Amino acid sequence: MAKRIIVIDDEKIVCDMAKKILQAEGYEVETYTDSELALEAIKSQAFDLVITDLKMENVSGMDILKEVNRLHPETRVIMLTAYATLDATIEAIRERIYDFFPKPVKIDELKQSVKKALGD
Amino acid sequence: MFRTAMSIRKRIIIAAVIQAIIICVICFFGYVSFQAALAKLQAIEIIDDLNISLLEMRKAEKNYFLYKDLSSLDELVTIGQKRYGVLEASRASLVSGLPGLSNKDYGELLHNLRRYVELIQGAIQIKAIPPAQEGEVRKLGHTLTEQSATLLRRERKSVNDIISYSIILLIASLGVVFIIQVVLWQYFFHFLIQEITIMEGMIKMVSEGRLREVATRTFSPHNEIQVAVQAISDMARELEKREQELLQSGKLASLGVLISGVAHELGNPLNNISLIAQTYLSLYDLLGDDDKKNYMGDVYTQSERIKKIVENLLDFSRQKKQELHDVQLGDVVKHSLGLVANQLKISKVKQHLTIADDLPPVSVDAPQIQQVLVNLFINAIQAMEQGGELFIEVGLDREHDQVWVSVQDTGIGINKEILPNIFDPFFTTKSTKGTGLGLSVSYGIIQQHHGEISVESEEGKGTTFIVKIPAQRQDKGD
Repeated sequence: MAKRIIVIDDEKIVCDMAKKILQAEGYEVETYTDSELALEAIKSQAFDLVITDLKMENVSGMDILKEVNRLHPETRVIMLTAYATLDATIEAIRERIYDFFPKPVKIDELKQSVKKALGD
Repeated sequence: MFRTAMSIRKRIIIAAVIQAIIICVICFFGYVSFQAALAKLQAIEIIDDLNISLLEMRKAEKNYFLYKDLSSLDELVTIGQKRYGVLEASRASLVSGLPGLSNKDYGELLHNLRRYVELIQGAIQIKAIPPAQEGEVRKLGHTLTEQSATLLRRERKSVNDIISYSIILLIASLGVVFIIQVVLWQYFFHFLIQEITIMEGMIKMVSEGRLREVATRTFSPHNEIQVAVQAISDMARELEKREQELLQSGKLASLGVLISGVAHELGNPLNNISLIAQTYLSLYDLLGDDDKKNYMGDVYTQSERIKKIVENLLDFSRQKKQELHDVQLGDVVKHSLGLVANQLKISKVKQHLTIADDLPPVSVDAPQIQQVLVNLFINAIQAMEQGGELFIEVGLDREHDQVWVSVQDTGIGINKEILPNIFDPFFTTKSTKGTGLGLSVSYGIIQQHHGEISVESEEGKGTTFIVKIPAQRQDKGD
């Protein structure tokens, strides 16, 4: 059965491209531009991997990370961000982030990271 | 009237010289009439003496005719000769230039006196006045007395005339001096007041911050007040230059804060383009024609987004001369909010914008007002480190004909003690993070728009800034 990945970013293009690329790799991908809806999805179902933007309205990537750690400690989280402060990075490391990608994201590196995270 | 191109000092000197000349002329006339009166009094004295002598001479003549007393004739001759000598000697001084005592009258008097004395002298030699001459002697004596009395009367009248003439002259000249004084005083008063009024207006404009209007006044100064006016104008120009610099520094300070938001804002479309390009390259064979077209369309949209961000930023940072245009304040608010939209997002600040309907336009320099609003938004965001809510409201104050914007945050608030200082230049609570220019520059900008900026704050609850700008009168009636 294909591994399930959830992609959360308020930029629709990020979601679309990630979906296209990761589907081509054989993963099942769900995307959310609204982080609140994404959080609800995480609460109601289990994903194998979470890819989320850091800065988002209402629910931030950090909130998602904390919630995932709380509900599904075994699920790994990869974070994307256009603008990361040292404080945010340290906080993410303490919350056991799996990987951190500054925007613009290199797709090959992201694919590698996803593969490693899912233990393929 | 004096020419306008003269210094006040010159005018005062000219006025003083004119007054001095007038006073000299008055003194001269006073002196002349005093001298005339003095000469007349001298003449009166001489004629008075002559009168007394004549009376004595007539008495001696009478004594001779009554008692044939020859010694009285000797006495008559002595007195007569003495008087004749005095009259002859003072002839020049009494006759010359004196109205009323003509040379002819005087000559007649002298001639008669000499004749009278000669007749008596002749009589003394023959020890009697011949009966044939008795009538002439009596007649001469009588004529002399009358002539002398007439002269005395005339001279007295003449002296009176001179004195009353002098009094009139004195009063008239005092009047003239007074009138000139009043005219000069009025002239200087009006002149100075007029010039000072100009200066007063300019000082008022400077204090209201309307530096441009004062600075653009150029004229060549002709007097001391105009020099001062010129100095005020120069000062305003210098101040305006400084204010422009300050405005720019304030703007750059806001820009520094905006940059972090902009970096994020630019990062997203850049990332999007990058992702599209990478997907396009790696999945090229899998993509259909429609996909490829859509991708390129997305790239175009994203690059337009970048262009817009850069344009906004450039627009904000550019230094421009103040240009007033009729705009809707609500639009300026929306545009300013756009500039900080990302800042709000990453700071977890929720915005609530309310714009009243049917607002009249305002005549403003939109980029400047934008600078003020961006500044207030950034301050609000910085006051809400843990996130919060930003209420922005645009409305109309019908009573004062002003359109107002209120910017209310739910941040840490401002201490009452420092609240009065927040509009001071270089006053900041952000230590090294702030320049202390933002609010002082904002204050200057709003002043220049004849508006008001005010603040209310409660520590721990939040701060509200209110900016009021005069509404443009609309010609169509209600």
